[in-house]
Amino acid sequence: MSKRRMFFKMITASLLRRRSRMLIALLSIAVGATILAGLVTVYVDVPRQMAASFRSYGANMLLMPGEKKALNRESTDEALSLISREKLQGASPYRYISAEFMGNQTGEGKYSSQLKFMTAGTSFDEVQKTSPYFAVEGRYPEAPREALVGKNVAATVGVKPGGNVRLAYDRVKTVAAGQTQRELQGSAPGYYDAEVGATVLLNEDGTIAAVAMDLSRQTPFRVAGLTTDSFTDTYGVAHAESFTDQFIGKQIPLTMSASADDLDEYIDAVSGATASCKAVVDAVNAASETGTHSAGQQITDTERAAMSFTVVGILETGGEEEDYIYLSQRDMEDLTDERDVYDVVELSVSGSSEELSALAGEINEKTGLEARLVKRVTKSEAGVLGKLQALVFLVTLVVLVLTMISVSTTMTAVVSERRKEIGLRKALGASDGSIRVEFLGEGLFLGLLGGVVGAVLGYVFALVVSRRVFGSDLQFNFLLVPATILVSMLVSALSCLIPVKRAVAIDPALVLKGE
Amino acid sequence: MSLLEIKNVSKIYGELKALDDVSLSVEKGEWVAIMGPSGSGKSTMMNIIGCMDKPTKGQVLLDGVDISKESGRKLTEIRRDKIGLIFQQFHMVSYLTAVENVMVSQYYHSMPDEKEALEALDRVGLKQRARHLPSQLSGGEQQRVCVARALINHPELILADEPTGNLDEANENIVLDLFRQLHREGTTLIVVTHDPEVGEAAQRMIVLEHGRVAREVVNESFEA
Ligand SMILES: Nc1ncnc2c1ncn2[C@@H]1O[C@H](COP(=O)(O)OP(=O)(O)OP(=O)(O)O)[C@@H](O)[C@H]1O
Ligand SMILES: [Mg+2]
Repeated sequence: MSKRRMFFKMITASLLRRRSRMLIALLSIAVGATILAGLVTVYVDVPRQMAASFRSYGANMLLMPGEKKALNRESTDEALSLISREKLQGASPYRYISAEFMGNQTGEGKYSSQLKFMTAGTSFDEVQKTSPYFAVEGRYPEAPREALVGKNVAATVGVKPGGNVRLAYDRVKTVAAGQTQRELQGSAPGYYDAEVGATVLLNEDGTIAAVAMDLSRQTPFRVAGLTTDSFTDTYGVAHAESFTDQFIGKQIPLTMSASADDLDEYIDAVSGATASCKAVVDAVNAASETGTHSAGQQITDTERAAMSFTVVGILETGGEEEDYIYLSQRDMEDLTDERDVYDVVELSVSGSSEELSALAGEINEKTGLEARLVKRVTKSEAGVLGKLQALVFLVTLVVLVLTMISVSTTMTAVVSERRKEIGLRKALGASDGSIRVEFLGEGLFLGLLGGVVGAVLGYVFALVVSRRVFGSDLQFNFLLVPATILVSMLVSALSCLIPVKRAVAIDPALVLKGE
Repeated sequence: MSLLEIKNVSKIYGELKALDDVSLSVEKGEWVAIMGPSGSGKSTMMNIIGCMDKPTKGQVLLDGVDISKESGRKLTEIRRDKIGLIFQQFHMVSYLTAVENVMVSQYYHSMPDEKEALEALDRVGLKQRARHLPSQLSGGEQQRVCVARALINHPELILADEPTGNLDEANENIVLDLFRQLHREGTTLIVVTHDPEVGEAAQRMIVLEHGRVAREVVNESFEA
């Protein structure tokens, strides 16, 4: 038998046949190695994990209308075609309006106070891709006339899933466009002393070309007998298109008539909305010249629309989204009567920041839309990552030191337990060197075993951590197995230095004395 | 030239003179018993001869080398090469089998050789128990393993400190028979003992008292 074989025989026999004590040393190394391997796996895998998490933490690119390019389905598709399929995580179009919450119905046709909320129309399928962190109590809207309501909005208006919200929106209408015209503006006290405004366009001959009403300051109230959707006097006036049509071709001042006898001269009030109609006529009569419109210019008018929605989910994000109401794109189009208009498209695209900015540049150039990177996310990603890695590094260091202390203590105990054996070996002719080598050999062997156990358990540990914390599987790093084994061997050997020193100092004569 | 020559050796622990100006010599091939009451300095002398301790004063010449002047490392070497040790407590490596314990001695000396180690065990009548751990062996069997271990490297000198102290009559006789064999083969034996029977088996008895050589008795009836 070779000397080397005898050496391995001795150290393996020492570990395998003296189990109890060595098991403790083995255990400390294995535990240390497990935590080490686990932490290092997480450490190595964290950037990947974090990148994934942060990617899922909202959009990292925004598409907005360009100077000469509208943002709609077509231009969005044009931009998306520039992004490779695998890289695009999701694209959520948003149309934002400020909608008036019509309050709770407090009686037949009566509603409580009105508040304005930012309301977004979007595609919920895409939202779930670009904002997976959205926490919804209830569910996302699926059917028409369903709404997702931000937590703060829900709290403000006191609505729960299953409840109802009624939203009103002042649609903007283009009224007229003509040749060179003079613009006049005026106002008059309306119902309940609220002001009614009017913008009047006069043709060159002094006849009225168009009238736009501004009823936004008017307090609405119920008017019986109008269509189902119109429940206020103001609404009634705004909806009765024929009302302002009567003005065209006439000259200021106008007179109001309750009977429709002479339509050439008199203005007929909308039935049931007399007060507001009167106020509009007063406002037109009060209008005075403010400017000139050249050909092709437009003036707009608003028209109020209201719709009821079933609240199916309450949105909790911890961010400003909680102050919003979300509708489907279709519902938003119905409410605004505007098709295919996006204010912004949120994109979630994977890739390095260089790739992303290159992509944004390409979109800007080729589509004329404005693509913008959301920088904040990338920045915080790096910051959090660094901190997390520093933390893992620190914990790793502490675990290393603890393992070393534990192994060192155990090995010291082992040495004093084996004083006699060491004395005997020396009496049999073992040099200090061979005693040193034997004990370090045992230490390294322990480290090897502990490292193997640790590498396996560490991977399991890391997997659990990864699943629990990041909710994803991790990539197994094969390099980590030899690395773990090497480190635990090194730690174990280092821990044996002091015990070995003690072993070498043992005097064979003293040990062999009868006891 | 004598194998061992001790000249005016003293070992002093503070006030106590464990060995007090001891001189004696042992010839090659001789079998010497060292006797004396407890505390008389027998083990102290054995440790010095066995290169595990150094005298306070005096010279110890082993095979012509003055081991009282050598460094620790050199002493280890001399012990390894020239001396086989047998102790009262059997002192085996608890987690190694009988044959492995014998091989440990070979390992430090030169090369482990299982065949040779098994032959040595055969010689002490333990071939059948070669694969047993010390805990599976009786005291007598353990001591025989120690004898096998002591002789495996063919040392010039075998030092035994109370080799039969923990043995019953039957095992004592087995060990003495082994000593006789070794003696016949020309091995020098120095055996420390309390036991007159063991002492009388030797060629010569040196009696220590209070660290001094009190007397020497040559065994007239010694038969090789
Ligand atoms: N390391 C030491 N330090 C101090 N005194 C010691 C030491 N070693 C031995 N002695 C003393 O030296 C004397 C001789 O001891 P030694 O062990 O040589 O006796 P011994 O003859 O072997 O006795 P025994 O028959 O009981 O084994 C004793 O009084 C002992 O107490
Ligand atoms: Mg003694």
